[in-house]
Amino acid sequence: MPNFDRILVIAKRDYLSRVRTPAFWITTVILPLLMSGWVVLPSLIMSKSRGGLRLAVVDETGKVAPVLAKEIAGVSGAEGPKIDLTLKIEPPAADAGAQRKELDRRALGDEIDAWLWITPKVFDDNKVEYHGRTLSNFITLERVERLLTRVVREQRLAAAGYDAKKVEKLVEGVDLAKTQVTEKGGRAGGGIGDIILAAGLFIILYMTIIIYGQMMMHGVLEEKANRVVEVIVSTTTPAQLMAGKLVGICGVALTQIGVWLLSAAVVTGPLMAARLPAGASANLPTLSPTIIAHFIALFLLGFVLYASWYALIGAAFNSPQEAQQLASIGVFFVVVPWMVFMPVLNDPDSTMATVISLIPLFTPMIMMLRIAVKMPPAWQLALAYTLTLLADLGMVWLCARVYRVGILMYGKKPSIKEIWRWTRYA
Amino acid sequence: MQPTLELRDLRKTFDGAKAVDGVSLSVPPGTVFGLLGPNGAGKTTTIRMLMDIIGPDSGEVEVFGHRRTRADLDRIGYLPEERGLYRKMTVREQLIYLGELHGLSKKTLGARADDWLERLGIGSRAKSKVEELSKGMQQKIQLAGTLIHDPELLVLDEPFSGLDPINQALFKDVLAAHKAAGKTLLFSTHVMEQAEKLCDHIALIAAGRVVLGGDLAAIKRERGADRYRLVADGDVDKVRGIAGVAAVAAKNGHVEVTAAPGTDGGALLRELVSFLSVREFRSAEPTLEEIFVEAVGDAQL
Repeated sequence: MPNFDRILVIAKRDYLSRVRTPAFWITTVILPLLMSGWVVLPSLIMSKSRGGLRLAVVDETGKVAPVLAKEIAGVSGAEGPKIDLTLKIEPPAADAGAQRKELDRRALGDEIDAWLWITPKVFDDNKVEYHGRTLSNFITLERVERLLTRVVREQRLAAAGYDAKKVEKLVEGVDLAKTQVTEKGGRAGGGIGDIILAAGLFIILYMTIIIYGQMMMHGVLEEKANRVVEVIVSTTTPAQLMAGKLVGICGVALTQIGVWLLSAAVVTGPLMAARLPAGASANLPTLSPTIIAHFIALFLLGFVLYASWYALIGAAFNSPQEAQQLASIGVFFVVVPWMVFMPVLNDPDSTMATVISLIPLFTPMIMMLRIAVKMPPAWQLALAYTLTLLADLGMVWLCARVYRVGILMYGKKPSIKEIWRWTRYA
Repeated sequence: MQPTLELRDLRKTFDGAKAVDGVSLSVPPGTVFGLLGPNGAGKTTTIRMLMDIIGPDSGEVEVFGHRRTRADLDRIGYLPEERGLYRKMTVREQLIYLGELHGLSKKTLGARADDWLERLGIGSRAKSKVEELSKGMQQKIQLAGTLIHDPELLVLDEPFSGLDPINQALFKDVLAAHKAAGKTLLFSTHVMEQAEKLCDHIALIAAGRVVLGGDLAAIKRERGADRYRLVADGDVDKVRGIAGVAAVAAKNGHVEVTAAPGTDGGALLRELVSFLSVREFRSAEPTLEEIFVEAVGDAQL
């Protein structure tokens, strides 16, 4: 007969002892900050960085460099990140070798950042020499490359007798004007936002399941190391103690997730939309109540599955070091969803995505991904939830059997075989 | 009177090894019961089975006159051999928590915790974390935690191990008060001197079996009934020749005389004073230590 009062007493202690620590609130607050920083910072850095490149150009053709200079003056900033290019055209000297050495010297002496050497061969082999102090400024380099491509292409077209402007107009690319079809009608431009949302929910699920699963393990190990566990199980059954810990730590996790979801709702909500230019807000993901409900449900199912596994490990061993080997098995299983992350995102209804999302170990994370990008059929959801619930029950049963023996075992590190034998004790 | 605790033929086997092999014992109410035996005899396993921490392979546990239920455990105070506290919890919270686990309300427990801390002289440390306290203080809190729900039966596994002398005295005082209040106590130990001073009843366990049990005074009397301690001047060697004497052993400063079966002590003394100047002649009850060594030796032969 389960004694819910006792389970509650234990859960309350486990909950309060963790929620009261500053560490809990620091991680709770820091993650949203990191996440938003992760999104905002790169674009912030890119928009602020001058990316200034002082480029010397030796143009043997005499046709490319002047046009390039004009392009840079004319289109700078119109497309892509703004890059501050300064072009200095050097006439080719009689002694090419000496001129190259001189350019290298100037680059090393920080008079210029890099130099280009354009030969007439560029119209055949598409190669322009670039010598720079650094080659890791790939965004700048790509922009230089694009500019050169355009200039060289125009020259080629002109040489072949075409009107470059006309041709450019004729070969312009096509953009997909995306509208997601939903129950509530079409929603324009949801794509990127949904991917960010799916990835965000996936990452939070992954992190919380792992972190709180391991918290369970450490909690059990601590009670063993403190030798407090036998005092506790003299009035509660080991199963009640384990249940209480699961509930308590789950509560800690839900508190944290609650704070995160709330801050996400604020960020993606009207507050943020008001600050963004019109049109940009269409890309923001919408955190619907349905998605939140699925998220919480999937978290609970995943947490129980993994946390009881971690409770088993914590009970069986005496120290985190001893527990490491089996604990890493848990980590391995949550890594699998990472490997299929992209394919599932791209085709959430593929056979592979469907099958993996029905395997209880992977259901929480993969189903979340699928729900976030495209709601799976109801029968798949029902099946996935049922299977995971059954797996949870089986796991809790198995782990409780090991747990009740393990918490009283001290000393020698048990072998897997011994742990298996514990499950069959009366 | 109905026993407070009764174990009937408890058995437990771990991976083929018999840890407890048919233990039966009966603890009368209001007594101090000693569960004695060498290390590895099965004391802890027996206690864990009576506390329902592990299930027996067979056998029965009765407490307070009926088969033990989970609810009965709320009326028992248990101090395991492997004991400890939550290091990060404050002393007062800890005591309240242990009480709540016995189904008591927070309100009742707050007052009780304060009483206990006052009684143990650590009232000023109520808000300290356990890890900030000395080991001696932690032991006091552990004891208070075991008694916070005012149990009718106390079950202590090796309660004195690791205690400093001051806490040993404190534990004994608290246990004496518990008994004085008419309550029952069962504790295990392998230190016979402690058991001898504290116990009314004992069960000696060796290799998972009770080899000797019952009222301690009766056991001692029984074991010492035919033995006398003699201190006398004169030709002590002649004692050996007396008709009613079975054996004589010279001990440190005295002689131990074992009377033949059916020989009365008084008659023996009259015989002795006829040729010796007797300064001391009294029944030589064995110490519990001696009984223990003898009984365990028998069991292991």
